[in-house]
Amino acid sequence: MLDEVDVLIIGSGHSGGMAAKVLTEKGISCVMLNAGPVADIRKDTELRQAFTLPYRGFRQPGQLPHVFQANEFNANTWVDEKEVPYTYAPASPYNWVRVRLFGGRSLFWSRQSFRLSDYEFKAKSRDGFGDDWPISLADLAPYYSRVEEIFRVEGEAAGLPQFPDGNFVPLEGPWGGAMERFRKVGEQRGVPVCRQRTSLGVNGLASSINLLLPDAFETGKLEAIPNVVVRELRVNPATGLVREAHFVDRISRREMSIKARVVVLAAGTLESTRLLLNSKIANSSGVMGHYLIDQIYGAGIVCSVPEARDGKSTRELMEGAAIVPRFRNIQTKEKDFLRGYALNVSSSTHPMDPKNFAAYGRELEEKLESYSGSGFHVGIMGEVLAHYDHCVSIDKHAVDAWGIPALHIDTRYTDNEFNMARDAVDTSTELAHMAGFELLAKNYDPNPPGYSIHELGTCRMGDDPKTSVLNKWCQSHDIKNLFVVDGSSFVSSGWQNPTMTILALAMRSSEYLAEQMRQRNM
Amino acid sequence: MQRREFVKAMLAASVSARTMMGQNAPALVTPATPPPIPPKAAPLPAPGPVPWMRGLLDAKPLPMTPLVPDAVAHTQTRFFTRQQFATLRQLCEVLMPPLKGAPGAIDAGTPEFLDFLISVSPADTQKVYVDGLDRLDAEARQKFDLPFAGVDLQQADALIRPWLRTWMTDHPPTDPHERFINLAHSDIRTATINSKPWSDALPENDDRRMEQGLYWYPVNPDLQRRDSRKGLEGSRHNVG
Repeated sequence: MLDEVDVLIIGSGHSGGMAAKVLTEKGISCVMLNAGPVADIRKDTELRQAFTLPYRGFRQPGQLPHVFQANEFNANTWVDEKEVPYTYAPASPYNWVRVRLFGGRSLFWSRQSFRLSDYEFKAKSRDGFGDDWPISLADLAPYYSRVEEIFRVEGEAAGLPQFPDGNFVPLEGPWGGAMERFRKVGEQRGVPVCRQRTSLGVNGLASSINLLLPDAFETGKLEAIPNVVVRELRVNPATGLVREAHFVDRISRREMSIKARVVVLAAGTLESTRLLLNSKIANSSGVMGHYLIDQIYGAGIVCSVPEARDGKSTRELMEGAAIVPRFRNIQTKEKDFLRGYALNVSSSTHPMDPKNFAAYGRELEEKLESYSGSGFHVGIMGEVLAHYDHCVSIDKHAVDAWGIPALHIDTRYTDNEFNMARDAVDTSTELAHMAGFELLAKNYDPNPPGYSIHELGTCRMGDDPKTSVLNKWCQSHDIKNLFVVDGSSFVSSGWQNPTMTILALAMRSSEYLAEQMRQRNM
Repeated sequence: MQRREFVKAMLAASVSARTMMGQNAPALVTPATPPPIPPKAAPLPAPGPVPWMRGLLDAKPLPMTPLVPDAVAHTQTRFFTRQQFATLRQLCEVLMPPLKGAPGAIDAGTPEFLDFLISVSPADTQKVYVDGLDRLDAEARQKFDLPFAGVDLQQADALIRPWLRTWMTDHPPTDPHERFINLAHSDIRTATINSKPWSDALPENDDRRMEQGLYWYPVNPDLQRRDSRKGLEGSRHNVG
């Protein structure tokens, strides 16, 4: 039995998978711990009709109340908040959406693949709010390129500084006529409507389990233990270095520990922070847990393209997806909000949602038949500002199924986010009208914080150990052999899906770690 | 090395060397006492005349498709009062009648299913339904001097249509009665479209037929799973 492993990686999602790939390919032995089991899609799933399920496809009442993405088909893939609870003030609910299967949330994500720009990395320098990151796009660009190659990001250069181009698989075919109309009216209003950027992955999957971990296992240098929940990291008081991880077997409750030369934490933003807070380490700055950020989703509009109604919907007219990258506070200065938002735009030949019509019975059926294939949707992805008092802490009154103290989450959206959402809906409505689309429904209210599954921050990086938890290599200022490579290092959220940035940061950090180990600095 | 440990190490090396020589020249040494034969593993207590699991691995799957209870059985209602259930039944009939070969909500057993679903739902959902059904019935009595269950289609329309709204997923109307009418409408549609009668009635190429979905079974479930929120009643915080 090994007395000590070289690198212990906690978490198997995108960031843990990338760390494992980079480190093992450089000859470093790693052991990976994951809190949940390994899923076997052939054994664990089945095609079913809704009427064969206990609740006819409805979400089981009372189960997963904060996972809006859940339904009766996928309910068993999410973390049950009764098993792993968290707390919040009644007036400030939070949707913490978690997956503990091996591969984590990399198994289920929207594949939108964007780079952050210096409008995010150096945001404070532009508008005075918050803090700049200790790195810029130039630091991360080479890593983005390599990540984009692994994930096979399909896209098209846009030439916009707030929407950096990348290493793309060329897009095939033009987009639909409706989208082209939206693009043209956007151009008149200074709103750039661009082609989407999406990870194609391999065989439709763009996950840690097919793009990263297989390479790591192939080296023979990675071993993994599923079904173990890490309770605490322990530091050797003589050296100040993290020395071992104490974990509990998820099924048997056997308590165990493992020693490691280096610990790479990749459990997902809030689980990593929860573990560090429970361990009472790496927080000399007092900043750990603070500056929780994410992105606002939920506000948007639904329209119909008149020319696509009554059986006239075609792929040429209606198939397509676009992204409107941030366009506010780029050339101009908005009076109601800082930073900006993007718009996700899609049109399809599919049937429409009955909720888009104030009708019932025969009238509704006729509407659904007439409008089928004419739907045009616009939704916001907006930056949430980082505030010190938007934070997480350990709740001494609540524990999970293994007795591990739970997280208390204290955050809320502010006028900046609400004003941004209002602007997004009004702007979308104006563009839709200009394009000749019929507005069917709109919503100004963002979903609760956390809904986007883009929780970020709480172990922010920075150059000053007094105001940040990690340095620019995602390495703890306090504990040299501790790295946190998931989204908790973010200083600002931007509007972009953070996956590409998390992957690029994990790659950069792991290469730095490997070099430090080669030079025997660890 | 301590002297005692040194001597022990030398003795061990000597024994080891003799053993090796013995292996090379077995005729020169006295055969060692043969190691004791390990006892046979004690047989497990017989559960019966034959092992219980014998033959199962070779058994062929039964040629059966499990029957869903709705195909042959009726749901026993138990949550709504008689009057509320009559109101719900009428609401189902009005909002989703049989159309173009598809069964209506009544044919799909939707009122009975919703009685079950709401009975196991959180209290705030139950309140939306109970208050909404009561109000619908009260308005019918006030306006037409009839229970809602007794109004005709035109009268029902006068009571329902003013509350209909368009809305986006996860954002139903916030006014209580608007919320009830629109959520109930959505629930009635979902329960009907996801029913076995709906699936049976529509041909495979009909767009209205629901496709199969990928159902996830619990993956390696925790057998000691317990609700870690027990004991937190009255806590100062909501628990997610």
